[in-house]
Amino acid sequence: MAARDSSLGWHLIRGYAMAVYLFMFLPIIVVVLLSFNASQFGSFPMTGFSFRWFGELWNNEAILRAFRTSLVLGLLTALISTTLGVLASLALVRYKVPGANTISTILIAPILVPEVVLAVALLLFLNFLGVPKSFGLLLFGHVIFTLPFVILVVQARLVAIRRDIEEAALSLGASPVQTFFQVTLPLMLPAVMAGALFAFTISFDDITGTLFWKPGGVETVPTQIFAMLRNSISPEINALGTVMIVMTVGLPLVGAAIARQMSKKSGL
Amino acid sequence: MTKMDNTTRYERLRERYMNGDLSRRRFLGLLGAAGAAYGLVTPYRALAQEVTEVRFDGWGGVVSEALRKYAFDPFEKETGMKVVDGTFGGSDEFLSRLKASQPGEFNIAHLSGVFDYARYADLGYASELNRDNIPNLELAIPKLVDVLAQYTDGKLSAVPYDYGTTGIAYNRAHISDEEAKEKGANLLIDDAYKGKIGGWAEWRTRVWMAALQTGQDPNDIQDMDAIWDAVRQHRDLALKYWTSGAELMSLLAEEEIYVTEAWSGRVYALQEQGHDIGYMDPKNGYGWQECMFVIKGSPMEACEELLNFMLSPETSIAVAEGQSYPPALDPQKVDLGDKIPELPAFDPTGTLDNLTFADPAYWNGHEADWSKTFGRVQKGY
Amino acid sequence: MSVEARERRQPWILLSPALTAITLLLFIPLVFIAVYSFWLRTATGADQVGFFLDNWQEALTDRFYRDILLYTLKIAAITTILCAVMGYPAAYFIARSKGNKAILLLLLMLPFWISYIIRTMSWINILGVSGALNTFLLWIGIIDEPLQMLYNQATVVLGLIHFLLPFMVLNVFVSLDGIDETLEDAANSLGATRWQAFLQVTLPLSLPGLAAGGLLCFVLGAGTYITPLVLGGPSDAMFANLVFEAIITQLNWPLGSALSLMLLVVLGLLVMVYNRYLGMAQLMKGLG
Repeated sequence: MAARDSSLGWHLIRGYAMAVYLFMFLPIIVVVLLSFNASQFGSFPMTGFSFRWFGELWNNEAILRAFRTSLVLGLLTALISTTLGVLASLALVRYKVPGANTISTILIAPILVPEVVLAVALLLFLNFLGVPKSFGLLLFGHVIFTLPFVILVVQARLVAIRRDIEEAALSLGASPVQTFFQVTLPLMLPAVMAGALFAFTISFDDITGTLFWKPGGVETVPTQIFAMLRNSISPEINALGTVMIVMTVGLPLVGAAIARQMSKKSGL
Repeated sequence: MTKMDNTTRYERLRERYMNGDLSRRRFLGLLGAAGAAYGLVTPYRALAQEVTEVRFDGWGGVVSEALRKYAFDPFEKETGMKVVDGTFGGSDEFLSRLKASQPGEFNIAHLSGVFDYARYADLGYASELNRDNIPNLELAIPKLVDVLAQYTDGKLSAVPYDYGTTGIAYNRAHISDEEAKEKGANLLIDDAYKGKIGGWAEWRTRVWMAALQTGQDPNDIQDMDAIWDAVRQHRDLALKYWTSGAELMSLLAEEEIYVTEAWSGRVYALQEQGHDIGYMDPKNGYGWQECMFVIKGSPMEACEELLNFMLSPETSIAVAEGQSYPPALDPQKVDLGDKIPELPAFDPTGTLDNLTFADPAYWNGHEADWSKTFGRVQKGY
Repeated sequence: MSVEARERRQPWILLSPALTAITLLLFIPLVFIAVYSFWLRTATGADQVGFFLDNWQEALTDRFYRDILLYTLKIAAITTILCAVMGYPAAYFIARSKGNKAILLLLLMLPFWISYIIRTMSWINILGVSGALNTFLLWIGIIDEPLQMLYNQATVVLGLIHFLLPFMVLNVFVSLDGIDETLEDAANSLGATRWQAFLQVTLPLSLPGLAAGGLLCFVLGAGTYITPLVLGGPSDAMFANLVFEAIITQLNWPLGSALSLMLLVVLGLLVMVYNRYLGMAQLMKGLG
């Protein structure tokens, strides 16, 4: 391992990866900077430093409510979508299913249809049935178009897990269910987590489908932003982005740092 | 506007709502019998014993915040009914959702332009308001009410709410006021600003501006070929078609573009932020209004009562100050305070004689053809 | 029940929730769209019910649609290739780094916490004439006048890469992470250089992830409409913009239905090809 860490190739790869990360972070840096901008309209150089938008965000019940809705919707979507996706992937990879290719294509179909069409089509069908819009419909709409992401990533991982490990467990007397939970699931856990992360972020960030399916009084963060576009997007949205980033990155990083610090001390 | 004025006016309005409440109760008793008269009422609406909620859809951000605070919350307190408010990103998008909805699902919508009123009416969504239940309608600019009523044979399916213009916005550091005044809409097809020109990606605005550039009457265009040539000319010089007010403001503020047509309220917001952006309405400039449209199949008296709340000076002024478009209230009848008279497009006379509005029948008659043609021209065809 | 019969039934039990959901919420609604594509839009009022081939004729014969469809596929392909080139080494780094992989992955998804519209629009602050990059270049004196970098094909691709790269990286990572590192070391000890070991051992084993990521990038890239709207110039529209305009702006649902089915068929064919030659079944055979 030491050889790898010091090799030139590894340094190159690390530098390359850092550059990719920097590219991904550019918009985030802008948003975080602008959330501390004193004036309402964002432009560089900034006119002053202020926590004003965080204060206003704190008092903006509408945005906070939308944020909670997005969070709940995203978590439920991730849960359902990942469950359905893992089951389907297992069937496709671990069993001989007649027409597996066709079924794979069918399962990926939701991302082949432009979302606006999917949105209108689903509404037409519900009208035909006479079912009113509800949070449940919105949730299932999100499940449908996050499912392909989960299935693709879980399948790719499952293929790489060698069957003989499972078979070994089975031959040692484990039941299929035991084998799944004690051997297969831990091995494919990274893919399951990645799939859940996909499902959550896509649901959290979805605009077109949500616009059409949301019932009265339900707003998500993206639909709130969309409706602000005509006039101007309030910097409170930037503040919300900053808060989310601090929450998702800051806390685990601080936690990891504390853990490292503690282990160092105990090591001494 | 002084605080004293505000309070007295509010007290006076409250009294009217009390009367309104009485008529609502009567209405509730009659609702079951009246259900049939509504025509396309949904079964569940007709079966409902009592109207408990009204659905409102409009722009988000400052607009929905002001309406919630000044109209919906007091209305809910007053009547016990609930206002469920939703948002949309544009009236085209809302129309698609309406088309795919169940009757009675949507009640009131904040629509732009007389042509949207006409478009929704043509598609069969018009209702009939009882003006007696909306006493605040008396405060509105008559011209704005008449132009709506004219389209639906004297009946009214909406109340006007605000108005503005689409004029020419220019960066003062690069274009002088004199030059803007002299060239007007032709600034948008001026070779000197190639790559620094913007425009709204919307067919009506593009055709309207082209009509001004080719010296034609926007409400009676004779030479359509010349129009499309002007639209193409603008397209080739333009850096970017913008699709939202937020984008428009950003393009101007970041000096990505120097000149574009623009919505008056957005330019005002930029000027307030200290950006040196000029704004002028060329001759025959594009005036428009927004209305609160009541969709067929809605509980009419509840909606009328809510509209009355929304038209009250407090609410109207709060919304107007939030979005920087003047309210539909007649400045001759209502004291609009200090800020409103400074808004661009504001007309202190309340006659709106200096604005040209799109003739709804004319524009909607060409909608299918022109919107499709623009879709192609826009993409380089 | 015999073991064989159970073996036959089990996959269907596992598949049924997903298939039921997709049938109910996607395929039946798509039938409505298919029916709609044979109706006709009238100037005002309701669409004319019937069996008309006009929309299909227009969608299939008009060069306008064909050109933009081809352009869309081209942009999606460019985006996919660039995502692979940028994403693979990054994924390799994450998979082989000794740091906290979960945090590295989470960091990659971070841009999604900021709404798509906001982060797409934020490129104006970076690449605009008064944006960060131009300010920097002017400051160090490389340029005398701000460069016009925004609103062209390149910025559309840039925006798409930014949106799609995490999908590529995560898919490749998941594959790479599943490969036993000792395989590479074994190849090394047998005399292969690191590069040879990578090419002959790691790369082939990570192909499923690369293929899955590529498919996602391509399909999502081909179906996008907000990115060209925000970051493109006047003539950078993509096919989904046409669908959106037909359905939302022109309220022409029949034509919009025909156009979207056309896109669905083209992308569907690509997925079939993917499943046939690159997909799971094929790769499993390869892996034996």
